[in-house]
Amino acid sequence: MSRRMIQSAATLSLVLLAGCGKGPARQIVGVTFETLQTEYWVASRNAIEADLKHRGIDMLEAIADGDANRQFEQVRNFITRHVDGIIVVPKDAQTVVPMIREANRAGIPIALFNRPPAKSDARSVAVVADNLAIARDTVSYIAAETLKRTGPHQAAILIGDLGDINAINRRDGFEQAIQPYAGRIEVVSRVPTEWSQEMALSGITNALQAHPGIDLVFASSDLLLPSVVSALKAKGRYVKIGEPGHVTLGGFDGDATAYQMLRDGYLDATGVQDVAFDTAATVQALLDLKAGKNVPETIVDPGFVLHQGNLRTESARTWGASVKKF
Amino acid sequence: MVASVKSGLAGARGAVIICFAACLLLMSWFAPGMFTPRNVGNLFSNLLPLLVLTTGEMLVLIGGGIDLSVTSIMAVASVLGAKMMNGGNGWLAGSPWAAPSAVVAMLLACAALGALNGLAVTRLEMPPFIVSLTTMMLFSGAAVWATKSRNIDRLPAAFCRIGGAPYPLLIAAALVLSTHALLRRSVWGRWLYAVGMNARTSLVSGVPVQAITVAAYAASGSFAAVAAVLYTARLETGSPVLGQRVFLDVIAAAVIGGASLSGGRGGIPGILGGVLFVAALDNALNLVGFSFSVVLMAKGAVILAAAALDTARSRAWGAART
Repeated sequence: MSRRMIQSAATLSLVLLAGCGKGPARQIVGVTFETLQTEYWVASRNAIEADLKHRGIDMLEAIADGDANRQFEQVRNFITRHVDGIIVVPKDAQTVVPMIREANRAGIPIALFNRPPAKSDARSVAVVADNLAIARDTVSYIAAETLKRTGPHQAAILIGDLGDINAINRRDGFEQAIQPYAGRIEVVSRVPTEWSQEMALSGITNALQAHPGIDLVFASSDLLLPSVVSALKAKGRYVKIGEPGHVTLGGFDGDATAYQMLRDGYLDATGVQDVAFDTAATVQALLDLKAGKNVPETIVDPGFVLHQGNLRTESARTWGASVKKF
Repeated sequence: MVASVKSGLAGARGAVIICFAACLLLMSWFAPGMFTPRNVGNLFSNLLPLLVLTTGEMLVLIGGGIDLSVTSIMAVASVLGAKMMNGGNGWLAGSPWAAPSAVVAMLLACAALGALNGLAVTRLEMPPFIVSLTTMMLFSGAAVWATKSRNIDRLPAAFCRIGGAPYPLLIAAALVLSTHALLRRSVWGRWLYAVGMNARTSLVSGVPVQAITVAAYAASGSFAAVAAVLYTARLETGSPVLGQRVFLDVIAAAVIGGASLSGGRGGIPGILGGVLFVAALDNALNLVGFSFSVVLMAKGAVILAAAALDTARSRAWGAART
């Protein structure tokens, strides 16, 4: 009896061992996000996971919780796991450079999602939205909408974290777009937010108090729109498009909140980052690098402006339209 | 009776160590590559700055205080050093003395900030929690204000080399060993434990309680500066938000390592174990590929368990002394 059991166990072990050796090992890509605290990052994470899964690649995930040192350690962990590629959503342009160097030394391809690295000798590919152009086009649209009403007009911008190149580009896009309207639209408030909803709320509340004539507000991220809505409601100025007293509103990202505000007729426009394009381009770039193909250092997502005029036709391309709200 | 309680406590501590060792073994089972030489190297590289920071915090905890501002002090050190030595518009840009001068300035400035905490606790008799909570905001705000929230790069290569092997190991080993000797072999060490156990009795016994407390906070500030040097050097960037999220790891490592939140207890061997456990937990959970929420929950549960054990130990210790 015992001999039969030993024979069975040995056979089972051999079968299992043989099974282990069959077929190629699945590829693994390490993905580290700086944070998952906004809808945009969550949608991007899910899209990357779906894209990798579709290609038969496993995803090893890590979130740095806003800590660049932790992200550095996560990249090192990925290298230890001998992943086939690394995707980083870096906290900023500078601290990611040593991470890229580590991956370069290990011979593992590395792609940056949404934020480009600072200039250095480290080799990577970055997929980034054309933040400046998308912000400029969005602000041009809302400025033109504002000028349809009788003036004078006053504008405010909620600026993101100036350590983030995307925030700087969006601010510059705003300034470029508003410049031709100097004399007709006066920028009376530039609110620093560091991507904090609390800072945005107190900043825009103060701005509306100091300048009751503000009738155009551009939020550098849709993340900040709830703060703008809250401040406008407190002043009794959250009014639909076309109704007297409407404050022209613009955003950036194309998240579910912005999409709903557009549908409800409160938001005039938002600049949309094409998440589907960005994630597909990032994963493809990583695979191309792995295959030894030439890939440009930067792949640009042109994005688009979603506004009341094209809401029906462009909804399908807007990632926020497919995000379920609880 | 006292002897039996003490032996029970020692047994409890042994049980904690065995539990955590079992946890590590379990994690290594699921975490591929956990004990490969490369990952062990990673693990030590990750834990050394945390070890330095936790050692400083431990001194304050032993003295019966708590310093919530250590990570903000790190951010101030990172920004100050980077502003002095960066190759762009650094105050000492291009000077061969830029890196050493910046490191000295970081150490002195952070010792002063730590001493400020200590003086507020001793002279103004404010609760350590409130003092360090408010200075945390003050220092953090100052670091962001000084940089307008921007990182500072282009640091000298000589400075960035400190972030790579073997320097972090050498620096951490020197600090940890000297602290161990200070606690075990010096009068200052015995006074610090006495102050943490009962400040009033220590004062009556002639212990310079205020000086000891201020020195502990100043040492904590200096250790934060050293941790800032290590973190800043390896990221090659001065950051106004450096280490903002590390504080929970510091407290977790200290408490798991046996430093009591009630004061009077703690030591380097325990801290080494605590830091190793926290770093290994983070490392293993990452290697396994758990989602962020799972990692947070796991770490939260471990810290809660450690704090509960600390409370039970403190109660047993109090019962043994009465």
